[in-house]
Amino acid sequence: MGRLSTALLAGVALMVTGGAVFAHHSFAMFDTDHPMELQGTVTEFKFTSPHTFILLEVKGTDGSSTTWNLEGASPSALVREGWASKTLKAGDELKMTIDPLRSGAPGGSWSEKKTNFTSGQPIVTH
Amino acid sequence: MLDRSLVGAITLVGATTFAAALVLSSVAVRAFDDAKHIDDAKRDAEYPDIGGTWVRPGAAQWDPSKPAGLRQQAPLTPEYQAVFESNLAITASGGQEYNPQVNCLPAGMPRVMIAYDPLEFIVTPDVTYIRSDHLAQFRRIYTDGRPWPERIAPSFVGYSIGRWVDADRDGRYGALEVETRSLKGPRALDASGLPLHADNQTVVKERIYLDQANRNLLHDQITTIDHAYTRPWTVTRSYNRDPNPVWVENNCGADNHYVSIGKETYFISADGTLMPTKKNQPVPGLKNFDRLQQ
Repeated sequence: MGRLSTALLAGVALMVTGGAVFAHHSFAMFDTDHPMELQGTVTEFKFTSPHTFILLEVKGTDGSSTTWNLEGASPSALVREGWASKTLKAGDELKMTIDPLRSGAPGGSWSEKKTNFTSGQPIVTH
Repeated sequence: MLDRSLVGAITLVGATTFAAALVLSSVAVRAFDDAKHIDDAKRDAEYPDIGGTWVRPGAAQWDPSKPAGLRQQAPLTPEYQAVFESNLAITASGGQEYNPQVNCLPAGMPRVMIAYDPLEFIVTPDVTYIRSDHLAQFRRIYTDGRPWPERIAPSFVGYSIGRWVDADRDGRYGALEVETRSLKGPRALDASGLPLHADNQTVVKERIYLDQANRNLLHDQITTIDHAYTRPWTVTRSYNRDPNPVWVENNCGADNHYVSIGKETYFISADGTLMPTKKNQPVPGLKNFDRLQQ
């Protein structure tokens, strides 16, 4: 036990219990301890299996733009939450809290519970 | 030219035959319906009501009664305890090369019973089927009394023979006991990398039964017998009945954004280029491209 830190155990616990959302792989590559805020424009919403993706164009303070690859729940899990393939479309403005890739590359995981339109309007209302 | 009376007779015979055929076919259909009704009623009377859709209520670690990781207290051999700790260290760095599912390989037995997506049970007298849309896994549990075949082609879900048991002798089966053999790898027990032995000699025994107090709760007592473990390891997983399932196709190969190259797993971005998943992850070897470009 002593060889592995408490933080590691907590990370593993989160990764495994998160299986309902991230079914075919674990959370391991995403840094859930350091979430970050993103605001940008949807360039594509991929309602595909095994996991959905939001491609979000985020503008930097220097005027440059970066496309973030954001992986979400499976379509089957999202359908149960009221989502569909046309819930988002290119051009939608989003404000999201994501868990970034540990590597620092512009990718991460997104959650429907931490994603809203920039206007503040919720994306799906039940 | 046919005589009118002969034509009339032929017509009458034809009409009578047609009418008789109609009556017979309707009798046959009714007999079939009655037989089906009797079969359905007999099945409903004999078998527990486990048919339908079952959803995992929460945690996805192998033993849901304990926290994930080392706190599972898995009875691993020293050799495989080291493998597990190595897998945990890989996880902490952002990797999951030990996890076959990342490349869309099925979980196999017994991990499929974690039910990442809902499980669908279909009970027939000779076979009970368990469907999982997650990674397209399909179990057949033979309950027709067959012996173990001499040769079985190994598979991820293995070959399962089951036996319905009526322990309290009330005339209704209370549980389905299942043994599964002839598995192939690679497999793991859960996403944390709880390992199974590389010899793939795993045998899994299950007891599947409805909760006595709540008939909408299903239990699967799963005992894994594997050379990576010092003793058979029994855990109980449970599932809630979903009376209104929503089925969505889950085809892992459709848009999987992960690729394992050598001992590393990379992320494929939308523009088709690789992204690292770990800090300081080595760039994949490109020597064969370099040679061709010289």
